[in-house]
Amino acid sequence: MATSIENLSSDLIWEVTRNQNAFLVKRKQSGGIQLSRDPLNLVNKHSRKYAGYANEKAIGIHADDNTISFVTKVASKTNKPASVHHKTSFAASTPSRKVYRNVVSSTAKKGYRADLRAEAVARASAIKRSQRDVKDTKRVTKLRGAKAKKAAAESS
Amino acid sequence: MSRPTVTIHGADGAAGKESYALPNVFKAPIRSDIVQHVHTGMAKNKRQPYAVSEKAGHQTSAESWGTGRAVARIPRVSGGGTHRAGQAAFGNQCRSGRMFAPTKVWRKWHQKINLNQKRFATASAIAASSSAALLLARGHHVSTVPEVPLVVSSTAFSNGALKKTSAAVALLKAVGAGPDLEKVKDSRKLRAGKGKLRNRRHQQRRGPLVVYEPEKDGKDLVTAFRNIPGVETSPVYALNLLQLAPGGHLGRFIVWTSAAFAALDTIYGSTTEASELKRDYLLPSNILAQPDLTKLINSSEVQSVLRPVKGGAVTKRSHVQKKNPLKNKQVLLRLNPYAAAYSKNGLGHVKAEQKPAKLDGTFSSTLFDN
Repeated sequence: MATSIENLSSDLIWEVTRNQNAFLVKRKQSGGIQLSRDPLNLVNKHSRKYAGYANEKAIGIHADDNTISFVTKVASKTNKPASVHHKTSFAASTPSRKVYRNVVSSTAKKGYRADLRAEAVARASAIKRSQRDVKDTKRVTKLRGAKAKKAAAESS
Repeated sequence: MSRPTVTIHGADGAAGKESYALPNVFKAPIRSDIVQHVHTGMAKNKRQPYAVSEKAGHQTSAESWGTGRAVARIPRVSGGGTHRAGQAAFGNQCRSGRMFAPTKVWRKWHQKINLNQKRFATASAIAASSSAALLLARGHHVSTVPEVPLVVSSTAFSNGALKKTSAAVALLKAVGAGPDLEKVKDSRKLRAGKGKLRNRRHQQRRGPLVVYEPEKDGKDLVTAFRNIPGVETSPVYALNLLQLAPGGHLGRFIVWTSAAFAALDTIYGSTTEASELKRDYLLPSNILAQPDLTKLINSSEVQSVLRPVKGGAVTKRSHVQKKNPLKNKQVLLRLNPYAAAYSKNGLGHVKAEQKPAKLDGTFSSTLFDN
């Protein structure tokens, strides 16, 4: 642990908080599924690997207006909550492949949580997809009958 | 090993030049099981006895009619002239009967908890308050707090420097506790159930706990902080587990005054030196010197006694899907190494160099010879 207090570790924090914590959402449906509201949890699943608060290093990716904000934890500042986060943001115009490349090269390729590579890319991709303009899929149908044509003419 | 230090922050939230070595309490083992057990006991010690009236359900002279009247043998109210006569009485299943096992005032309301256990739990809760992760997991909004544990210089409090609530709010906001105060304010809800009628009308979250040293910081700050929702104050000499770990959950957000923080070592001592204020008290020591499992597993001591991995880097996979060699090139090559050269040279497309000689007719004539 970066705080170098010998009684604390992420393993201990996880054991203390795995039964209850402020981020945990326990659902009765779906076989008692356990979700997490942790902003540094890439898959929103309550588990040791994805728990952003417990791990010294964690990645968070969020939709932010029309951009993507990308947060990592600085392991040496674990006991300094105000400066523990390293934040970057991608403009809306950044192509998705460039976003993935930057996400991976600033984390997994540097040996920073390489186990989260696929999850980080998947989350960035899902956010990118959600920010895409929705195509107008309404099909123009041919009006049938005099009444319908008359109604359309009046309304327009 | 040098002890980690904690910066002292000014009233404006800026980090000062001074710093303290982390008191030994913060190295106490974090044992949520002990904290929970002590908390359940301590939470029971403020209860007031209650019971139903001794007479309730027995204020009638009912007697059973016995058998032969084609009704149940439960005691029945005697007499006539009213609907009550002949109705069943006394039993817990009866209308206006007494309850089952009427509650008594001599129930065991309070719990004795061993002193050493209580001290262990308090030390554990204080140690847990130094972990930002545990504060977040408890639900405190501490992402704007510069450092955990958060120590504010006593000059901001001493000699009645902090008397007004507005100044207290300003101080908390300056040290980054503003979001936590907002959280408390937004969380205030009407309580569900009868508690509303019993002077527990609203529920709200807990905010920061301000721990002070009554002699050096004075007591004016108590009145200053008193009316801020969710904020509690406690003198450092009388820390209470119910405040340090509300609900038995570790990780209360604590704002220490520097005088209170400095007093911690005299109050709790260390694992080897007895405390000055608690007679013969030694802090509990950690069972594990290294609580980080990954470090333990990867340590040279453990790795050196492990046997080497069996089977090398590649293990044979069982139960895999069969791949079609006609569609999957790699599988084809595994079966037929010649396929590479075959396709590279385009042998599949080469025309035969000489056409086969035409049959001269003897074959068919011989075949159909009659």
